[in-house]
Amino acid sequence: MKKFIFNIKKYNKYAIRSAKAELKSEVADSYLNWLWWIIEPFCFMLIYVFVFGVVFKNNTPFFASFVFIGLACWDFFNRMVSGSVKLIINNRDLVTKVYIPKYILLISKSYTYLFKMGIALVITFGLMIFQGVTFSWHIVLLIPILIVLYIVSLGIGLLLMNYGVTINDLGNLTNIVLRMVFYLSGVFYNINERNLSPTLKYYFLRVNPIAFIMNEMRRILIFNQLPNFKWLGIWLVIGLLLVVIGIHTIHKNENSYAKVI
Amino acid sequence: MKNKEKNTAISVKNLHITYRGLKKTSIRASWTKLKNKVEVFEALKGVSFDVEEGKILGIIGKNGSGKSTLLRAIAGIFSPDKGSIDLHNHTISLLSIGVGFNKKLTGRENIYLSGMLLGFSEEEIKAKEKEIIKFADIGDFINKPVKTYSSGMYSKLAFAITAILETDIMLIDEVLSVGDTRFKEKSYNKMKELISDDKRTVIIVSHSLGTIVELCNEVLWLNDGKVIEIGDPKEVVEHYNKYMNENG
Repeated sequence: MKKFIFNIKKYNKYAIRSAKAELKSEVADSYLNWLWWIIEPFCFMLIYVFVFGVVFKNNTPFFASFVFIGLACWDFFNRMVSGSVKLIINNRDLVTKVYIPKYILLISKSYTYLFKMGIALVITFGLMIFQGVTFSWHIVLLIPILIVLYIVSLGIGLLLMNYGVTINDLGNLTNIVLRMVFYLSGVFYNINERNLSPTLKYYFLRVNPIAFIMNEMRRILIFNQLPNFKWLGIWLVIGLLLVVIGIHTIHKNENSYAKVI
Repeated sequence: MKNKEKNTAISVKNLHITYRGLKKTSIRASWTKLKNKVEVFEALKGVSFDVEEGKILGIIGKNGSGKSTLLRAIAGIFSPDKGSIDLHNHTISLLSIGVGFNKKLTGRENIYLSGMLLGFSEEEIKAKEKEIIKFADIGDFINKPVKTYSSGMYSKLAFAITAILETDIMLIDEVLSVGDTRFKEKSYNKMKELISDDKRTVIIVSHSLGTIVELCNEVLWLNDGKVIEIGDPKEVVEHYNKYMNENG
């Protein structure tokens, strides 16, 4: 753990710079340039709102804001998890030529994803104002919820990154699991309003961290309720545990990655 | 003549590296092959040597004898399976071309990316930025995306970064010839200047025996992962040539 903190201090600046470089290069050649960072999430959200709000007729209040919050949260988690599996292999040049603590690669990626989530949230806030959602002080609670989201995603990402090096088809497996989690998380429907038995609902909203986090975000932002602090705490502890295990396995294996890829 | 006051920069003791530990596999294969024999390839079989501070060590040997593996192990990219490598708290860099370049960004931005990856701070790079750009000598292209560079310009910039950002120990793996004739000469001279610095320890891997004899204080001959001979450049190279002619 000491090594981890030392490495973070040493390489964090690189991680930030590399994240900035990545963002810049993503839009470097396009006509609309950085506008894509706004247009893209906005359009995706509109599609979901249209399909599930108009075509499937959904009566959830403030449905557009509801979907936007869910999607911002989901996109971050999805990018972290699916991006981490092939991360080492995609950075072959780097990994075989210099020593760098491998989790720095993921942390650097996470900064770009955080940036994108930030934009998505700003768009969401704009929409909430437009729809006339009343804001309350509960909005402050978004910060601890986002921290839990980050830590859980990072923990899962670190572990997948480690095993993705040696297990070729882990990517296929995570894709399937991610798809399942996506539909079960209620990005575009409200789990609370479905005709499910109360026990099933209870577990749907707690065992799946993303469904839980999404639901909490909506509660504080749209419905002005307090989050479920007990389960936030539980997921924070699980997330931290995953991060510690992930860092430990990476420290143990990282010097062998270069031999495998 | 042995001078005991000279500090040791690198001590390698009984270094073993095997390509086995982690093998690429699929989920299906790991079910069926759970207890099958794993192929073991021993790249280095017990290599030991010391390098004194300020010395220049050349490593020679035929292809596949473990030279690059040894360099990477010293640079910390591989961890030893057995044995140890002690750098006595020196900073180290493996001189490799274009690490961490992002081709869509400008050369100037890549100087920072690559430099920070090699372990330098932003301030250190800022202080040397002008020198790097001057040495790379690619004119206005420094502000253009790297993907627009010719391959020569690319290597010139990459070489300039690693050559100007200096570390205590430099590991060089066959990169003495990049760019056009003029730049080649310039980089060769720069390399000579860099490695003749009293404080700097250098390890060079090269197939160009002429370069090795000219630059190095000591030569290590590696064959099949074992040290055959270590000592005076001329002698070792002579023995090596003889061996290669007989067994080639």
